[in-house]
Amino acid sequence: MSRYWPFRLTGFGRCWSNWVAFLDRQEPGTTLALWRIACGLCLVGTIAAVVLAGAVPLLWLPPADGGYTQPATPWLFRQIGGVTPATVKGMVALTLIAGVLTAVGLGGRIAVLAALQGFLALMGLNSDATGGHDSVISNGLWLLVLSRSTETLSLDCRLRTGRWTSERPVPAWPRYLAIFQLVLIYWSTGLHKMSAAWTPAGGFSALYYILQQPTWQRWDMSWLAWLYPLTQLGTALTWVWEITAPLLLLALWYRATPQRPGLFRRLFNRINFRRLFVLMGVAVHVGIFVCLEVGPFSWIMLAFYICLYRPEEWRIGWR
Amino acid sequence: MWPHIRTVLVTLHLIAITLLALPAPEGGMDRQSWQNPTVQEELHAWTQTLNSCGIAITQPELEDRLWTFAQSYMAIRSEVLQPFLPYYHYCGTFQGWRMFVGPHRYPLVLHIEVAEHGQWRPIYVERDAQYRWRARQLNSYRFRAVLFRLGWPGYEGELKRLAHWVATEAARDFPEAEQVRLRFYQRRTPSPDEVRAGAPITGEFGPALEVPLRRQP
Repeated sequence: MSRYWPFRLTGFGRCWSNWVAFLDRQEPGTTLALWRIACGLCLVGTIAAVVLAGAVPLLWLPPADGGYTQPATPWLFRQIGGVTPATVKGMVALTLIAGVLTAVGLGGRIAVLAALQGFLALMGLNSDATGGHDSVISNGLWLLVLSRSTETLSLDCRLRTGRWTSERPVPAWPRYLAIFQLVLIYWSTGLHKMSAAWTPAGGFSALYYILQQPTWQRWDMSWLAWLYPLTQLGTALTWVWEITAPLLLLALWYRATPQRPGLFRRLFNRINFRRLFVLMGVAVHVGIFVCLEVGPFSWIMLAFYICLYRPEEWRIGWR
Repeated sequence: MWPHIRTVLVTLHLIAITLLALPAPEGGMDRQSWQNPTVQEELHAWTQTLNSCGIAITQPELEDRLWTFAQSYMAIRSEVLQPFLPYYHYCGTFQGWRMFVGPHRYPLVLHIEVAEHGQWRPIYVERDAQYRWRARQLNSYRFRAVLFRLGWPGYEGELKRLAHWVATEAARDFPEAEQVRLRFYQRRTPSPDEVRAGAPITGEFGPALEVPLRRQP
């Protein structure tokens, strides 16, 4: 037994050192800045949509003030005197302002933290009026709080250096966590799709029937009955794409280490797995946006795709 | 030292979010909701699939076993996630990715009507271009999520509260009205074959909720 311990510890120690070194990497802040701008805009959009629909009282206030149900009292509202028209409107204003500051990159992490906490407080008022897109936004904002996302392409940068851009490197690990989060979302939602309709047992009929649900559809989709085989193909592709999403992490690793040997590495790099993944994702999310009204889901998911590209790739793309 | 502390924290983050993202029947732990025709059709489909694979099991047996397993799984899951709850709560790292897990084959459509001089007339029908009373609010995507839930068992209280909201708002907009009525129309989604054949699919209204209008003094 004892002779195995040093070996195991050495193996673990090496793994740990590699892991520490991986998370210690730095890179220009371009990707994180673009992602911050996109997340900020999604946050502003989703709160502004409630305001513009005139639905603030209905969703977030008690019946005495125009709401349909008794809202919960999230911790931030408890600190400011409870849920009243004044505190809810104040929180809406604070969240919108903090969201704009996040997008323009003024106030660093403090602005992003304020945006996140305001958003969580508002979403906590009525959990029935929330969706997966809200969790995507809050997860994104939390990672932005942890990152130095206003280092470039921000008012902070402009005020600090007199220029809109900066070469100063920032830790890359928040971008890696964003990629992991993106993969986790797809993998988890794929595993949750336990309905037979997503599988051959149900004739891959899920997409057709989902697009007929009156609650979510943007317009009448009964014409899909004449394109049913295409929806079956779409169902199969979507499900397989979601549950195999972790392959993206492998593909990115292979992409970063092309000099190493291996059949899979060569194959993944030859077919440009990342490009295929992005093309499929863009098709899925544009399709969702065109057919269904599910809030900012497509936009916030596509915002995470920004993190799939290294800063130098964005710069080359810009030129 | 900081790189090691940071690595520990990042690792904990990854563990916390991955554990929460693992599949769980959250929101489905109400046995009454399993009687919904959509859920029963799913159980039927899986029973048939298992039977065709040589596993002899009836639909009630499958349902019972799934229920028992789900209860145990959710109890263990709750214990495992307990230490991470404050992290999810205060940092917004929730991982609820149960999106379109299965199509709702018997969708519900909310109808709101007012009674004027003893005659009912519709004022709002969900997703209907003709009856659009307060549609700006009721059709907003956040309220659609509410409407989707209101038809499920366990939401009867919320539906009553919505009916009272409707009664208060309708009293302003319809001075002649005496009552409002909320009810869901349920219809099986036609299959592609039925749509192509033009076969009519009729649905039926569920129980109605009638509330007298609440006129503000």
